[in-house]
Amino acid sequence: MKDLISKKVLRIGAAAVLVSVLAAVTVALSGGNAGFAAMLSEPFFKPLKSALTSLVGSLEHVYDYLYRFDELEAENAALKKRVAQLEQDYREYTEISEENGRLRSLLGFVERHEEMTLEPATVISWTASNFSSSFTASKGSDAGIALYDPVVDEYGNLVGQVTSVSAASCVVSTVIDTTLSLGAQMYENGEAGVAGGDFALMKEGNLKLSYISDTASLVIGNTVITSGSGGVYPAGLVIGAVSGIAVGSSGLDPYAIVEPAADIDALTHIYVITDFAVSE
Amino acid sequence: MTRRKNGVLVKALILAPYLILLYLLQSTVFTHLQLWGTKPLLLPVAAAGIAFFCGRVEGGVFGLLAGMMMDLACNQLTVQFTLLMTFLGILIGLLSDTVLVQGFPSYLLGCALELVLTSAYQVLSMWVLNGAPIALSAAVGLKQTLYSLIFSLPLYYLSRFYFRVTGSGR
Repeated sequence: MKDLISKKVLRIGAAAVLVSVLAAVTVALSGGNAGFAAMLSEPFFKPLKSALTSLVGSLEHVYDYLYRFDELEAENAALKKRVAQLEQDYREYTEISEENGRLRSLLGFVERHEEMTLEPATVISWTASNFSSSFTASKGSDAGIALYDPVVDEYGNLVGQVTSVSAASCVVSTVIDTTLSLGAQMYENGEAGVAGGDFALMKEGNLKLSYISDTASLVIGNTVITSGSGGVYPAGLVIGAVSGIAVGSSGLDPYAIVEPAADIDALTHIYVITDFAVSE
Repeated sequence: MTRRKNGVLVKALILAPYLILLYLLQSTVFTHLQLWGTKPLLLPVAAAGIAFFCGRVEGGVFGLLAGMMMDLACNQLTVQFTLLMTFLGILIGLLSDTVLVQGFPSYLLGCALELVLTSAYQVLSMWVLNGAPIALSAAVGLKQTLYSLIFSLPLYYLSRFYFRVTGSGR
């Protein structure tokens, strides 16, 4: 039985070698334009005859082909190297292009707020806690960053506030964190309130605008900005937009659900406002 | 150098990179591994593992160090996790020394205890300090506990490996 299987295997192997040789020869002879499948589509005898006669008559061509193989291999290696170089250039280009976009956006913001001093930094890591929303940024007091400095994204949207600082890094609590609370107002009608984190809303990526007057007109889509009261945040920074209106558990305290303008989850680059003109 | 000092040195040489690795994973990779909007906790599970295998003394020491790392990973200014995880390390080590039988089910129980008490502490803190709805916080705590328990399996083997290599505890 073993012998039988061995013979079968040998036969299959021989058939495979034969088919491969035929395919290779066919491809070689057709200059790469026609493969084995194409050969099968032809009447059987014609290509066979053609292949056998050509095989004898073109050993020199085969030699030439084998000789060129080394050349092609070298060329392939050189091209691979070139492709790798181009890919690297492309990555650098993309990076520079993205940075350029960020800086252009920032430039617009800075031009509108010349009174501010900004310190760029990057997000190093996010908190491991499921009960807060904060991250560690790449610069600290050595770069002039101080406790409670406001933090914005490249568009000038409020991201949060520095809540702890060391020499080389700082921790920023985002606007949706439950510990943060700041004076805010509606851009459209000037209605004042207090924007701050709420645990239930934080889990949805939103914050709350509370302590608004009973007569306040809350319109979904309205922009919420910093009021500047207290002098911790500059006035006019965009916090977000009203995405819903709700009432507290007592039924007497309406509040607005605010969707942050800054894309908190996608933050990579931030700008810490280290100095600004207080206007109260 | 005495044999005892050598033993301490070996343990420190193993535990230091282990802790650093856990911290790096906790504060970088695991913050992106969200499931049901929840991030898993790795350091408390690791602390429970060491306490379970090595007893209350090493459990307490490792809990202290892991708690410090946890405070760092959670951007905590206070030393909440440092204190909590030291206590839990001693508690689980004590249970392991006295009540719990050695084996995976008991280890899993130890991890669950550590995670449940950690979550309970976080939920109560949120309720007391921030007025967060307790039901919602508890739901987050439960998800955190269940999700983190998944990682008790790989950490079981690492803790057991450490225990066997160093011959710690009992």
